[in-house]
Amino acid sequence: MTGAIERFPPFRWTAAVLRRLGLGGRVLVVAVPFLWLLVFFLIPFLVVAKISLSEPAIAMPPYLPLVEWDGARALLTLNFENFAYLLSDPLYLNAYIFSIKVAFVSAVIALLVGYPMAYYIARSPEPRRSLLLTLVILPFWTSFLLRVYAWQGFLRSNGVINNFLLWTGIIDQPLVMLQTDFAVYLGIVYTYLPFMILPLYANLVKLDESLLEASADLGGRPLVTFFHITLPLSMPGIIAGFMLVFVPAIGEFVIPELLGGPDTLMIGRVLWNEFFSNRDWPVASAVAIAMLIVLVVPIMILRSVQADKGETT
Amino acid sequence: MNETVPVALRKPWAGGSEPPFVRIQKITKRFGDFTAVEDVSLDIFKGELFCLLGGSGCGKSTLLRMLAGFETPSSGRIEIDGQDMAGKAPYERPTNMMFQSYALFPHMSVEKNVAYGLQRDGIGRAEAHDRATDMLKMVQLSQFAGRKPHQLSGGQRQRVALARSLVKRPKLLLLDEPLGALDKKLREETQFELVKIQETLGVTFIVVTHDQEEAMTLSTRIGVMNEGVIVQVGEPSEIYEHPGSRFVADFIGSVNLFEGRVTEDKPDYVEIAAPDLGGSIHVGHGVSCTVNQQVWYAIRPEKVRLSRERPESRRNAFEGVIDEVAYLGNLSIFRIRLANGVLVRATRANLSRYDDEALTWDEKVWIAWDDTAGVVLTR
Repeated sequence: MTGAIERFPPFRWTAAVLRRLGLGGRVLVVAVPFLWLLVFFLIPFLVVAKISLSEPAIAMPPYLPLVEWDGARALLTLNFENFAYLLSDPLYLNAYIFSIKVAFVSAVIALLVGYPMAYYIARSPEPRRSLLLTLVILPFWTSFLLRVYAWQGFLRSNGVINNFLLWTGIIDQPLVMLQTDFAVYLGIVYTYLPFMILPLYANLVKLDESLLEASADLGGRPLVTFFHITLPLSMPGIIAGFMLVFVPAIGEFVIPELLGGPDTLMIGRVLWNEFFSNRDWPVASAVAIAMLIVLVVPIMILRSVQADKGETT
Repeated sequence: MNETVPVALRKPWAGGSEPPFVRIQKITKRFGDFTAVEDVSLDIFKGELFCLLGGSGCGKSTLLRMLAGFETPSSGRIEIDGQDMAGKAPYERPTNMMFQSYALFPHMSVEKNVAYGLQRDGIGRAEAHDRATDMLKMVQLSQFAGRKPHQLSGGQRQRVALARSLVKRPKLLLLDEPLGALDKKLREETQFELVKIQETLGVTFIVVTHDQEEAMTLSTRIGVMNEGVIVQVGEPSEIYEHPGSRFVADFIGSVNLFEGRVTEDKPDYVEIAAPDLGGSIHVGHGVSCTVNQQVWYAIRPEKVRLSRERPESRRNAFEGVIDEVAYLGNLSIFRIRLANGVLVRATRANLSRYDDEALTWDEKVWIAWDDTAGVVLTR
């Protein structure tokens, strides 16, 4: 089953050399995404980690190298001051806590809104189900930035919502909605809702209907059946959806920048300020690394808990 | 009404004053243009083990699901223990169901699965635990109480499902192909276990099955369904020996069917001209038919006698050649080709281990049967 291209000498020789090196087709298939992650994730991460441990300087680039060579000796200077600085200034800690709070509350709201939607879609008959799923994904076809700008138009004091409410006479003063925490929550829930719905849908659509019938048959009223059968069985979907909203929302920059007020201090904005306003690359890198640790540790704990569970379910 | 006499001996369906426990009256169920169940009426008595038997898509499962409350009848009325079931949700009915897929809750242990129904009735944790434990003891699964369903074999899961559906002591237990997923040996064992449990607890069972052997072994009565209609209801022996139609005769067991025309219709005998057999069939009892009417004569293979010599009585005896022999151990099945090419099935019990005289391929034989051995069918 060798095609023309595989008989072509350069290909044949290359393949022979690769095989000699122990790189068969199977290894190469795995190697491509592996290399991709190595080049575009791990190496940049190491660069950022390196910068976070260096000293700031008014130079180009604005930090001192870690390793200095004085002709005979290599001097490695690890500067942990940047991390100590994060702890000393409450601004950073507050930004972390606020980011986590916003992300957590948004994820909870997205779950409460998304679960009934996912449930309804999963229980719909086939042609309508595909249509509803398409509608969930449809917003992705427009630029994310454009959609967040559109919310500005809705939330402004002379925006669509206020104008409508004034016209109906429900209010006589425009509500202040833009540049508040409310707008940030709204923007995050709106933007990330599909990431909640899709994994929940994928889980709920697999739910065996006979289990619900069995529960009803044994005397379970609909609400009891939901809390005892549907909810526990959809836990993997809930966790996946929650993580897909919670994790990116922590580092969110665009939404708090465009919809939030000046005191909406999320970590993404702090990061931006350190990099571009203060040009303090080492502290900015330290902020980024600290955020990664804040995110990765709970995820790893969660994963290990799930892996333990996976053995018994 | 004497409750101590088993229902199989009381035979309340044959007449008497006992009111039926389940009363199905003119039930029809349509799904769009498709009629799954059509105008079914059925009375089932307390303590019965009633089998709904039919091929796939005959409506038997839909009928069962209407009893459980998962489907709403398009028209008609269902009464269980004197109560009208219209508008009652599954969780309000005095029934429990054992699902074909078992539908065990995968995230709960065996014991929690069994106790689930009790806790829904507001029974305390301790009592629910005790009753679930007793039930698991009965189905011999005590040592598996802490396991999850996926850690059990198919037979064990089936017993958990049975325990879960019985633990609430329902008045009526509905079983959807309860033994479908089991292998033959386990199936036979479980059949007898099921009958034993049913007799011990005195619960009324309605079993849906496509397996006629299962229906024969289990049931007090069988309702044969075809295309949404109940074709015949009767005790197993009645269904087997007195089928009311060609469909029932053919569906239950195997049968030889000969088309014919009535030539003589007397009060104590009937004569049928059967071109298939190249002769005439003599029926030794009266049949409600008219001369020249088209009828079918059904005779079971085990009632067809085989012999090398011509039988003394010339009635119902025809000559043929053995076309095929299948040895099944306990019996052998013969296929005999008659002069006009028609094939007739006959079985013979293998009574001896050393049968030198055994009939074999291409031998000339006579087939014959008693004049009461077959059934005359008019539809």
